[in-house]
Amino acid sequence: MSTSLADHLRSLPDESLAALLQQRPDLVVPVPADIAALAIRAQSRVSVSRALDELDRFTLQIMDAARLTRDPADGTTSVDGVLAMATAGPHPPAPTAVRAAVDRLRARLLLYGPDHRLQLVGGIDEISPYPAGLGRPAAELDPRTAALCADPAKLRRTLLAAPPSARAILDRLAAGPPVGSVPPGALQAPAAGAEDELPPDETNGGAPTGSPVRWLVDHRLLVRVAGGKGGTTGMVELPREIGLLLRRDTGPLGPLSTSPPPVAAVGREPKAADSAGAGQTMEVVRHTEALLEQLAAEPAPVLRSGGLGVRDLRRLARATGLDESTAALLLEVAYAAGLTGEVELPGSAARYGVDQQVLPAAGYELWRAGSLAQRWEQLARAWLTMTRQAGLVGQRDDRDRPITVLSAEAERAGAPATRRAVLGVLAELEPATAPTADEVQALLEWRAPRRSRGREAAHREVLAEAATLGVTGLGALTSYGRMLLAEATATEDRDSDDPLGLRSDAVDAGTAVRALDALLPAPVDHFLVQADLTVVVPGPPEPALAAELDLVAEPESAGGASVHRVTTGSVRRALDTGYSADDLHALFRRRSRTPVPQGLTYLVDDVARKHGGLRAGSAGAYLRSDDEALLAEVLADRRVTELALRRLAPTVLVTPYQTSRMLGVLREAGYAPVAEDATGSAMLTRPKARRAPARVSVATRASDPLVAPRLPLPRLLGVVEQIRRGDAAARAARRAPAAVRGAPPTGPVPAHSHSDALAVLQQAVRDKALVWVGYVDAHGATASRLVRPVSLGAGYLRAEDERTEMLHTFALHRITAAVLEK
Amino acid sequence: MSGGPLIVQSDKTLLLEIDHPDAQACRMAIAPFAELERSPEHVHTYRLTPLGLWNARAAGHDAEGVVDALIKYSRYPVPHALLVDVAETMDRYGRLQLVNDPAHGLVLRALDRVVLVEVAKSKKLAGMLGAKLDDDTIAVHPSERGRLKQALLKLGWPAEDLAGYVDGEAHPIELAETGKDGGKPWTLRSYQREAVDSFWAGGSGVVVLPCGAGKTLVGAAAMAEAKATTLILVTNTVAGRQWKRELIARTSLTEEEIGEYSGERKEIRPVTIATYQVLTSRKKGAFTHLDLFGARDWGLVVYDEVHLLPAPIFRFTADLQARRRLGLTATLVREDGREGDVFSLIGPKRYDAPWKDIEAQGWIAPAECTEVRVTLTDAERMAYATAETEERYRMAATARTKLPVVRALVERHRTEQTLVIGAYIDQLHQLGEYLDAPIVQGSTTNKERERLFDAFRSGSLRTLVISKVGNFSIDLPEAAVAIQVSGTFGSRQEEAQRLGRVLRPKADGRQAHFYTVVSRDTIDTEYAAHRQRFLAEQGYAYTIVDADDVLGPSLPSFD
Repeated sequence: MSTSLADHLRSLPDESLAALLQQRPDLVVPVPADIAALAIRAQSRVSVSRALDELDRFTLQIMDAARLTRDPADGTTSVDGVLAMATAGPHPPAPTAVRAAVDRLRARLLLYGPDHRLQLVGGIDEISPYPAGLGRPAAELDPRTAALCADPAKLRRTLLAAPPSARAILDRLAAGPPVGSVPPGALQAPAAGAEDELPPDETNGGAPTGSPVRWLVDHRLLVRVAGGKGGTTGMVELPREIGLLLRRDTGPLGPLSTSPPPVAAVGREPKAADSAGAGQTMEVVRHTEALLEQLAAEPAPVLRSGGLGVRDLRRLARATGLDESTAALLLEVAYAAGLTGEVELPGSAARYGVDQQVLPAAGYELWRAGSLAQRWEQLARAWLTMTRQAGLVGQRDDRDRPITVLSAEAERAGAPATRRAVLGVLAELEPATAPTADEVQALLEWRAPRRSRGREAAHREVLAEAATLGVTGLGALTSYGRMLLAEATATEDRDSDDPLGLRSDAVDAGTAVRALDALLPAPVDHFLVQADLTVVVPGPPEPALAAELDLVAEPESAGGASVHRVTTGSVRRALDTGYSADDLHALFRRRSRTPVPQGLTYLVDDVARKHGGLRAGSAGAYLRSDDEALLAEVLADRRVTELALRRLAPTVLVTPYQTSRMLGVLREAGYAPVAEDATGSAMLTRPKARRAPARVSVATRASDPLVAPRLPLPRLLGVVEQIRRGDAAARAARRAPAAVRGAPPTGPVPAHSHSDALAVLQQAVRDKALVWVGYVDAHGATASRLVRPVSLGAGYLRAEDERTEMLHTFALHRITAAVLEK
Repeated sequence: MSGGPLIVQSDKTLLLEIDHPDAQACRMAIAPFAELERSPEHVHTYRLTPLGLWNARAAGHDAEGVVDALIKYSRYPVPHALLVDVAETMDRYGRLQLVNDPAHGLVLRALDRVVLVEVAKSKKLAGMLGAKLDDDTIAVHPSERGRLKQALLKLGWPAEDLAGYVDGEAHPIELAETGKDGGKPWTLRSYQREAVDSFWAGGSGVVVLPCGAGKTLVGAAAMAEAKATTLILVTNTVAGRQWKRELIARTSLTEEEIGEYSGERKEIRPVTIATYQVLTSRKKGAFTHLDLFGARDWGLVVYDEVHLLPAPIFRFTADLQARRRLGLTATLVREDGREGDVFSLIGPKRYDAPWKDIEAQGWIAPAECTEVRVTLTDAERMAYATAETEERYRMAATARTKLPVVRALVERHRTEQTLVIGAYIDQLHQLGEYLDAPIVQGSTTNKERERLFDAFRSGSLRTLVISKVGNFSIDLPEAAVAIQVSGTFGSRQEEAQRLGRVLRPKADGRQAHFYTVVSRDTIDTEYAAHRQRFLAEQGYAYTIVDADDVLGPSLPSFD
């Protein structure tokens, strides 16, 4: 068959082949060597599976029809056969729809050949063994069942005789998949009693564990097949013929629907949806900024296992008033947008087990300078393309460890495609339609059943995240969200299609930003000041105004507008940064739309009056005197100008130099200063002579070096023993046999001598005899030792050295020789 | 962008720009569900709270309407998340209902079975719920009604109380608007009528009106509405007498129908006025006067100055949930932060009006608030600087330097009735001598007090020095000037009460003056700033002047 596929491919004109490759781009990565290689690849399981993923449910069902109508002899089918099967049900689809589906399959090379000899590409049966959820033909399963199926009247009778519980099982299997697992023991004969009276066990997910399955198997309606895990579970399969019979009401392929399920969605006012979304975009930008500011104030350490700690996330969430999942999402998005980054910590902090911190990155400043809409666009784009699934944060991974923000566990390569798919579904609906999550789910399921399976949670997450980010408003895709999506898709297409960007004017980037800009409030440059010292900015402040307010007032409430309060502390802060009271008055007068209340003016003046009432500075030393005239004289004295004295008060001078130097200079100039210590009491200074460190007189030594020391007897005995042992060792060394003492072998130790040594050692362990062991130490030096082996094993010899009374361990491969002590 | 007057903030505050042409309409639209938090001159702040939203639900507003109002008047796009939150919060109300079951009495009934299961498992409700009658109904002991409602509120599943109120023992009470005993005819002011109506519609609750705005009349009108025996709880005997005088003058009640239940007298009559003090007095650890609550089948309980309600009374109130309760106050600011308890036990805020609005309508006198800062002498500064922390406020507040300033202020208003208010008795005595004015303090006998007040009222006495006893409910007509020299630290509520002393409308429409004399650069200034916060938020702009400006001779234009 593969040869014929290759032939088919060869016969195609170039354009058709190119069109095919466009449909299945994975076939040309890498570029196949020839048509035969292309044909093989086109039938490979991976490639076919990928092609199937793209198909909607109806096309897949038509493909199943093609599979079911195959001629068992040569594996071919015909368009007419497919058409006949597809329209066999009670609600047949239009033949044109079926033909269109067949064309789609052909375009993807899943079907090929002329209309009357359609062939299926290989590999499909491996991917899904049960076409249209039907089992194998009875002939392949069990001859007795085949016999039953061959007799339609008897089959019908048997089916009608099935008890209700057994019928329920049949219906379930008929809807597909056609195999089911059976709990152990269900197929064994019941211990006693009439089996028909056993009630079905509804607790086990509706699958009866009692007699119904057994009844069905006994009556040949189900066939036991191999499979299941570890043999504890049996499997049963519903033969294709019986399945088709049971599908009388829906048609052989099950319910067919040529178009996606309808959406009974609430239509929203497009303006209301846009407005709610725009409000949300302001929130997102503001919250992201608050989070990053918080990160800047207190950077979060990166865990050893990657990501930010749960406690840090909680802290950030609390500080910004968000819930943890939203904070996690925004942190992920900000990271993806390049607004934050890790920084290596200097060595000192590494002591605490922290190597890296997450901080706002350099791009943050740039982002902050942008308009609201631009900032949102940057975030939303990053969200669309990031390969992260923020919804996983807080859940547990396979090893039951919590998944943290920015950790590798939340990485999902398929996340952007999932987002694109979900938003794509919303984008195809009428503007401002707000489908429910279930409806979106149903649409996705129809559009690409193979891909959406098992991703329900991810889809819901995308919807929730889109709402949080303001891509949707009131559940409907916003107008600017639609544009953003179009732009993102266009960028991708252009990149692949037009690498030089020649057609860049085709899609105007930034329409989303402009559309959103029109929805967002314009920045304001003024505020309203009130008698309770609150300052209200009735809209988003201009950057300059925001910077000024940050300095002179404390923020109280934020959102569309912002409320600030002027306090003593905030005014002091402004004064500290160089504002004068007049500057502040001017600022309030200039910016305020309302008369500045007298209380505020008074507050500024009052704080300014006290500001700087205390002055701090540093000095090397001070000079004080109760005699003001004397200090004036010192200050005027030219001889002491090098001290750079400054008058702090009539009675105090300061110098940047140390006390000792000042004293020296003053004394030289003929003054008589006295030094003071920290408590103010006078310190007397005397010249200090240089001395070496203290030493002890010889006279105080305990003993006379001329008299021989007298040793006590026990110590002497110890000395004697030490000498004797040394002597024995010396003698022993002298006696070491030549084989052991010999020069280190130049090559590898000969195998026979090594095995000889092992035999000697084994014998010595048994006899508890003394052995001379020659070995090479870690530095390559040879040595020999007289030891008593204790044990031999695991590549090591453990032996006792009688001289030192120590237990030694020798690596066997280092032992060169072993000789028994005679 | 609609360009509306409202800005919705993400922390659920609503900013209403009052100079906007739609401001009044917007206020009417949001008042049912948002609480007025601050009302300074340009931008009023409202807050969306779960409690406020639930009250709106109770009053028949639905989430759709709230969201519509927000979107309609909002100047900027309203965040989606906030709208969702509003809808979800409102949706929680009424899943549980307290109803009277003909067979089982009071029961908690669930419209959402899951919620009932959830709350029934909660430890906070342990002991409040009785037997489970069926899957949707649990019996509740009538005495637990208040506590249960409070606990359910804390759990976030407020119950809709459909059990209603007992009517109490009927007693005819009418407002005597045609004038009584030859008095002038009068009518209830528009805002008083609104307050009574919204209270009556809600069943129970708190009415917040500025001092001098006629809260007593709201109480009287509520009694006329209830036409039942009434228990009135007041702060002290003097206030009780004032209530009694007012009730006799303004309603059909006669002296014989009104009883006084205080330390001196123990009368229980169809309308009984009791003091908090006597109710909370204990003998051997037991509250001896609690029987009063059960002495009659009261149809209405009025709590005067509800922000002062002592903690034990909270507990008794929890048992009175079947009776209508009316709380009256000028400020709901409680320094102990128990505002929430007032709401859940007495009832939600039913009526609130910005002070400045009532002033604009002419029902309270316009007041000019001035803070006079005196500079301490060097000796006083030295003494203050070295004083113990706990002594500092007293030292700063009672500085002798304040005396000449007070005298200068009294001189300036020598033709007007002037009150000098302080907290420290020593200082008051100094002031009394210095100004040659009589002193009213806690130890002054009631007789002496009444004599002094009468003299003050008649105008034969121009200046009166009073201690903290003057904070509440004493009837001092036509005081046009108040000078406070010291107070209870940073109490915002005391400041409001004291301002209230001069807010009663003057016969000739004159302006009232409210002076605070503080010592510069001391803790006195800080406390003063804190005290002024509430009034500043009500739109009273304090002017700050230096003592020299007051003492200096060259200020003839200063009025």
